[in-house]
Amino acid sequence: MQTVAMLDQVGLLRRFLRARVWHGAEWYITVLGSAILVTVATLTLLAPVVAPHDPNEFIGAPFTPPGGGRQALLGRNGEVRIAPGANLNGVVIGVQRNRNGANLAKRLGAQGVRFEDQQALLEGLKTGEVDLIFLDEDLGRELVASDSQLELVADGIGLRFLLGTDNLGRDITSRLIWGARTVLGVALSSALLASSLGIPLGLISGFVAGRLDKVLSLTMDSIYSFPGFLLAIAMATMLGPGVINVAIAISVIYIPTFFRVVRGQVLSIKEQLYVEAARSLGARASDILTRYIFPNVIPSVVVVFSLNIADAILTEAGLSFIGLGLPPDVPDWGYDLSKGHQFLVAGRWWMITFPGVLITLVAAGFSLLGEGLSEMLNPRLSET
Amino acid sequence: MSPRLWRYILVRFILTIPMLLILVSLVFFVMRMLPGDPALAILREGASDEQLAAFRAVLGLDRPLHIQYLDFVASVIRFDFGISMTRNIPVVEEIKTFFPATVELAVYGMLVTTVLGVFFGAFAAQHRKSPADYGIRVASIILYSLPIFWLGLMFQMVFGAQLGWLPVSGRLSPGMTPSESITGMYTVDAILRRDWVLLGDALRHLVLPSLTLGLVLAGIFTRLTRANMLDVLEQDFITAGRARGLRERVLVYKHGLRNAFIPIVTLLGLQFALLLAGAILTETTFSWSGMGRLIVDRIYDRDFTTIQGSILFFALLVAGASLVVDVLYGLLDPRIRY
Repeated sequence: MQTVAMLDQVGLLRRFLRARVWHGAEWYITVLGSAILVTVATLTLLAPVVAPHDPNEFIGAPFTPPGGGRQALLGRNGEVRIAPGANLNGVVIGVQRNRNGANLAKRLGAQGVRFEDQQALLEGLKTGEVDLIFLDEDLGRELVASDSQLELVADGIGLRFLLGTDNLGRDITSRLIWGARTVLGVALSSALLASSLGIPLGLISGFVAGRLDKVLSLTMDSIYSFPGFLLAIAMATMLGPGVINVAIAISVIYIPTFFRVVRGQVLSIKEQLYVEAARSLGARASDILTRYIFPNVIPSVVVVFSLNIADAILTEAGLSFIGLGLPPDVPDWGYDLSKGHQFLVAGRWWMITFPGVLITLVAAGFSLLGEGLSEMLNPRLSET
Repeated sequence: MSPRLWRYILVRFILTIPMLLILVSLVFFVMRMLPGDPALAILREGASDEQLAAFRAVLGLDRPLHIQYLDFVASVIRFDFGISMTRNIPVVEEIKTFFPATVELAVYGMLVTTVLGVFFGAFAAQHRKSPADYGIRVASIILYSLPIFWLGLMFQMVFGAQLGWLPVSGRLSPGMTPSESITGMYTVDAILRRDWVLLGDALRHLVLPSLTLGLVLAGIFTRLTRANMLDVLEQDFITAGRARGLRERVLVYKHGLRNAFIPIVTLLGLQFALLLAGAILTETTFSWSGMGRLIVDRIYDRDFTTIQGSILFFALLVAGASLVVDVLYGLLDPRIRY
């Protein structure tokens, strides 16, 4: 009695932490996976709040490296005095084409003059063609230190891009955060779609057996043996771009997975003694299926679901990468990777590094979760 | 060979027929019956109704669906995958040009996978529940969570663009021309012709793509080998060997691995589909002119017959591979019979 009473007093958190002793490494794997997923899911839900910018806005200069974007305002040494916060109306500021200062000058109310390159920009300042110039912060400081003609008027102006910008000057951080929405949305809905077809078919096929089971099994096994990615390519080609179309195209691959697992489980569960007992007591077949068999299938389905989402994320990214994914205005990691591929040789490493890391992280999160759960829920199945 | 073995092979062969029919029907269904009119897609918007009708007549799309279906199945049986819509040559010819490159990539990729997978899988099984085992398991989960094309991009960036050690695209350096094709696989051709310069160049181009393909698949393969090895290591003959004082290394790598090899062969067959899917993305990343490149390029061109033909070809290939694997399985293990 006493121990029961004590158990009641043990908090949920405590019990959760104690579970690691019981389950060992599987517990850590599950928790690691869940932690990754909870973090990404939170980011996804809070996208409008946490994303610094609109994912499709051309907000910075193209190819701003990670952490870059902040500008320094340079003037001729000893000539320019601008009080902090002063109105810049009428001041002529030189900016370099395709650099972050270009938008900035306009927003400050100054008159912007574009120069082709850095050389021309400095020349323009020294000859008095412009009053001030915008330069990337670090570069500006460096030039001021080495050139006595220049003076640093202000620095730390404008936006900083934590993970840099892409070829169109869009903020990569924001694209990644919004992209998580797309990726998780597509992967989740395709897994839901696949399970809503695969689970009932598997239940019926395993339970009814006979000719129906043979036909369904052969069909599902054939689809299963086919390279899933090719099937998705064929479907996506015919259905055309669009979030729902891609989800449908991907879901087809996973119907057989759900079918096979559920059917296999039903085959073994329906031989159990308690099912026979229910049948001998006169339970209807539909009741046996839904109330005695189905609940016992759920643990395996949960595992398959998690593993399928992991795979669907990779499939979606692959489709986008070969240009079969979503319309271009939907932020998407795979699409960003295929854009980055074009600028890889030019050394724009940040365009491909971050989306790939995220895809791996989320896919690994779901895999770890599925893996851990599978060992915790079905210890006997775990070695297959 | 015993009559029972022949019976097994025959039954297995007959079972392949419905599977093939299902796959062919599936391709037909996907390519013909889903929304998205091929005629409209190829001629694009603005084509007149007469143009569309004429085009449909050329493609045979104006006939009743069941006639189209029967015709489709009949032509697949004759290995006739139609004429490429954009190049005007038979799709089979296109496949003949592009397929050897995919085989070459797949073979080297599989080599990487097998070596890594068997070694790490056996090692993890031997040291079950040790930190090394968990390390290998987590590493293999992460490996197969890697988008294969991204791993390729990272390799290109580090070993190609940054370090400049290895070529990042194509099958040969620009100046090199393949000698007249024998097999279409450059490394094999080079060996047959004793052209060692060509061989070296082809191998250098193979390193990154086959590592990319092999590493991602090695994740899965390690897990499968580990699971199979665990089964084998629990069996009595291992315990008996241990009792007789055989060294653990001999037990695991000689007796254990040899017996785990039958299921592993089957798994290699199952991996075939994954290998092909992986090859498509790897080829896209490395501009490797194989089947994957063919399919992806033709998606841009909206060349539906080539896409359909390539996918059909893969369907035949997969069915063939599973047949071969099952027959091999039957040959290796006399217990497997119908």
